Amino acid sequence: MNPHLYPGSMAAQGMIYESLIEKTESGFAPLLAESWEVSDDGLAYTFHLRQGVTFHDGAPFNAEAVKKNIDAVQANAERHAWIKLSAKLKQVTVLDEHTVRLELSEPYAPTLLELSMTRPYVFLSPNDFKDGGTKDGVQGHDGTGPYRLAEQKQDQYAVFEANEDYWAGAPAVKRITAKVLPTGETTLLALQKGEVNFLFTDDRGADSLDVEAMQSLVDTGKYQLLRSKPMNTKLIAANSSRADSPVGERAVREALWHAVDRDTIAGTLLHGTETPAEALFSPNTPYADLDLPKRAYDLKRAAELLEEAGWKQGDGGIRTKAGKPLALQLVYDAASLSQKTEAELIQSAGASIGMKLELVGEPSPSLAARRASGDYDLLFNQTWGLAYDPQSTIASFTAESSYRHTTSGIERAEELYAEIEEAARTTDEAARKQLYRDILKTVHDEAVFIPISHGGVTVVAPSDLDGVAFKQTQFELPFEQMKFR
Amino acid sequence: MLRYAARRALAAVPLLAAISFLAFLLNQLAPIEPAVAVLHAQGVPQATEELIAAKRTELGLDRPLPIRYAEWLLSALKLDFGQSYVTGQPVLALLCPALLHTLQLAAVSFAVIVLLSIGLGVFCALREGTRLDQGTRAAAFFLTALPPYLLAAGLVWLLSVKLDLLPTSGLGGPASFVLPAAVLAAGYAGVYFRVIRSSMIAGRHDDSILYGRACGLPERTLTLRMLVQSLRLTVPIFAMAVPILLGSTVVVENVFAWPGLGTMSVKAILSRDYPVIQAFVLLLASAFVLFNAAADIVGAMLDPRLRKEL
Amino acid sequence: MKRLQRLLSDRLAAASLAVLAAILAAGALAPWIAPHPPDEVDMALRYAPWSLDYPLGNDQLGRCVLSRVLHGIRPSVLYVLAAVLASAGFGTAVGMAAGLLRGRTDALLMRLCDVMLSFPGYVMTLAVIGVLGTGLANILLAFILMKWAWFARVARTAVQRHADAGYVLFARTLGAGRLTLLRRHLLPACLPELAVLASGSFGTTLLQVSGLSFLGLGIQAPHAEWGMMLSEARQAMFSRPEQLLAPGFMIVLTVSAVNFLSDALQTALDPQAGGPRQAAAVPGEPEAAAAAMLRKEAV
Repeated sequence: MNPHLYPGSMAAQGMIYESLIEKTESGFAPLLAESWEVSDDGLAYTFHLRQGVTFHDGAPFNAEAVKKNIDAVQANAERHAWIKLSAKLKQVTVLDEHTVRLELSEPYAPTLLELSMTRPYVFLSPNDFKDGGTKDGVQGHDGTGPYRLAEQKQDQYAVFEANEDYWAGAPAVKRITAKVLPTGETTLLALQKGEVNFLFTDDRGADSLDVEAMQSLVDTGKYQLLRSKPMNTKLIAANSSRADSPVGERAVREALWHAVDRDTIAGTLLHGTETPAEALFSPNTPYADLDLPKRAYDLKRAAELLEEAGWKQGDGGIRTKAGKPLALQLVYDAASLSQKTEAELIQSAGASIGMKLELVGEPSPSLAARRASGDYDLLFNQTWGLAYDPQSTIASFTAESSYRHTTSGIERAEELYAEIEEAARTTDEAARKQLYRDILKTVHDEAVFIPISHGGVTVVAPSDLDGVAFKQTQFELPFEQMKFR
Repeated sequence: MLRYAARRALAAVPLLAAISFLAFLLNQLAPIEPAVAVLHAQGVPQATEELIAAKRTELGLDRPLPIRYAEWLLSALKLDFGQSYVTGQPVLALLCPALLHTLQLAAVSFAVIVLLSIGLGVFCALREGTRLDQGTRAAAFFLTALPPYLLAAGLVWLLSVKLDLLPTSGLGGPASFVLPAAVLAAGYAGVYFRVIRSSMIAGRHDDSILYGRACGLPERTLTLRMLVQSLRLTVPIFAMAVPILLGSTVVVENVFAWPGLGTMSVKAILSRDYPVIQAFVLLLASAFVLFNAAADIVGAMLDPRLRKEL
Repeated sequence: MKRLQRLLSDRLAAASLAVLAAILAAGALAPWIAPHPPDEVDMALRYAPWSLDYPLGNDQLGRCVLSRVLHGIRPSVLYVLAAVLASAGFGTAVGMAAGLLRGRTDALLMRLCDVMLSFPGYVMTLAVIGVLGTGLANILLAFILMKWAWFARVARTAVQRHADAGYVLFARTLGAGRLTLLRRHLLPACLPELAVLASGSFGTTLLQVSGLSFLGLGIQAPHAEWGMMLSEARQAMFSRPEQLLAPGFMIVLTVSAVNFLSDALQTALDPQAGGPRQAAAVPGEPEAAAAAMLRKEAV
């Protein structure tokens, strides 16, 4: 639960710790900072902190604490290389008790976004620091958030108690116990028996819910089922850099796009917990409400595309071109039953258009390793979620360890990368909008990210619980707003 | 006797050394570079080249193998298994509670196995060939052929949901032990029961029992004597059941979200947390060797003829 | 031959053997006797109940459950059997070599066995999966790597015991070569014990492989395997419990048949059935019981 490192549950970290600002549907909102100014050259950010806020251990939250925390994160900067801000942040200056200034070495547009994330730029009482820092561990978990960690047993449960001194008023739900449950049917049993009365899924959770059964539970009137807006996109990343594989060819990727039955996946296999995705980002994502051409589930069109590209029907029902069979490898996360089922469905559709898909299930670290080394044709993946989309996901197009191999094989790759860099640097909002439009259009046209469904958070809560809402990330929920009728 | 015990114990030492080397090698044989595995396990979204290089130096992966083995072994002897790639916590801090929980579960199951198999074994041996005997044996047979996860699902559904008697999963009060222990014990009890039963039946035809009966000793005394005799043969087998149970809780723990070694090891494997996997393998293999030695020694104590072995 | 007759005179054993033979044959012939391709998806038939066309109904992707069960015999039973036979063959060869050559080779091979035997079943399998990654092939590889040692031990003990027996000494004086000796006398002599061990470990391996598949560490999609079918069915356990029936029944049936056969084998091959030898069917670890058996034989 060290807020400056990555292990630990994001949901729990979000209850205990807070950032300076928060990303909401309508833009950035004050959290621990009441207001902020950005200098004209985009190099200095001045934050006016909320007054009278204390950490759970009673220590005051002030400019000094902000500086200490950010310095602690920076001391471990190489761990946060994916957050570009960590490389661009030059220094933090305490202007007075409640004012701090962050100075950057060059303008960086997603600064506010990265400061709003659940980690690493959140604040822990300096009394909990170890050797003046946090990279070697912490001595306590005192944040400023609406809940404090009362008790924790690794792999079993954690108890959170309301922070009565919370600056926005004490939360109404006084005590929350988070339990570790086995996946699968036991979750439902636990709900039915009342061992658990509140359940939420992150993007992987849909795997462990028997939604049909859950619905029957809701029908009893004891529970309500709530779904958030789309938070992220499940997709298949196609390795365009593989010139020797059919996947390097745009027509093949487009044909596959047409062969994915999104309605069946979202509606039937996932019981409507997710919605069909027609583009890399759902239209409610910033900069992504673009009218991109839809590639519907259409096996005939898929077959035509292949035919036009010179893939002719060969022996055994598999198309060939210049003696090469139309065979691709699709890698999925072996721990995810839904990915497996989706892969099987897509495989079967592929077979009917003469495309052979070989399924490979592996643990998720292998997937990440393959993504980084480019050792894949097709790979199940997902965008990072509303709090990070589209900026962070787009930034990762260029990163070797992320989607470099996915994007580098397309025709105007160099141009694309230049645009991505420009979009992060520019301080002109209109220009950025145009750049993002171009970028998203390019990857859409090239069909390197084949969207499947938009995931969100599903909550099963007692029917007398009011105020169940969602945040901009699929990993957290605003428990402080909930109360029992 | 003491000499036998000492020699048997000494024989375990080279074994332990070989095991430790194999466990250490696990990490080296992995197809994914450990430094990359660590970074991924720690949830760093992007592993850059610099990060990987830095991690490699930090983990000492750039030094020769024998030196690393020696260091690893020395610290392992001091119960320092390094740090988990995923959480950064010392492996021991993860291992200890998990081992404790698995030990608790195994101990309860072991007690159930011993009680059930001796009770039913004696019961059936005395009624050899009757319907009751055949019925019990058939039931035991069925249980050993039933996949534990299926049995678990059925029991949870019946006892937790329909009858609402027991918690569905997790470690809680004594009630939470019932289902996992029952599922774990079911298969094993079926087999050990048969061991006891058949050795009791074999014992019945033993000369000493026949002689005792001829002398008019009461049946109860004879049964007891038969039991003692068959236990003499089966105690070593029971002793080995302990490490076997420890190593085979994997499925049951995963089904019941039991915070023990099985859950820990599967999680570690799926996230390629090698220090944890190594410690797990080393611990269980060592337990196996030690219990094996103990079983031999106990067996020799009970049956002096076995001592000349070795 | 006499032994086989005695085995078959046990009606239960004969029935078990018939069931197993039928299952193995069905597995071998699956592509020809299955009514549909096992991975033919038809979402319109999702969770359809049984019908003439689909006698066992359809699964979550509308695939024919009967066809999947039949195709599942290969990974669930046939491949496991192959793995057990492979480890038995290799282990027997090593054990016999050790028993015949004696001396240093023997000592070295047996120490190696000891090391392999110190890894409890699941632990070794998990370790191999941890290194090589998930997949049925890796699981089976782990089983072979581990189990040969038990066969080696049993074979060695048997060879040593029989090597000093009168008839072998007699044959040797008549000038029979080592290989002839092995083939004509020693191998047949230790076959019964190996058969008991092999059948016992076959049953437990079946259960363990299905358990690992159930945890998602086993076979790759879209291939059908019983453990994997069960884990898919578990997702909908409360809305569609009937999905558990077919694969669950097949596992119980196969393992029961194997266990009955193993039991009958022991009785048939060892007229004084009883004693700890019975323990050769300890689930999870038949080998631990085999070790106890060896201990007794060393007396």
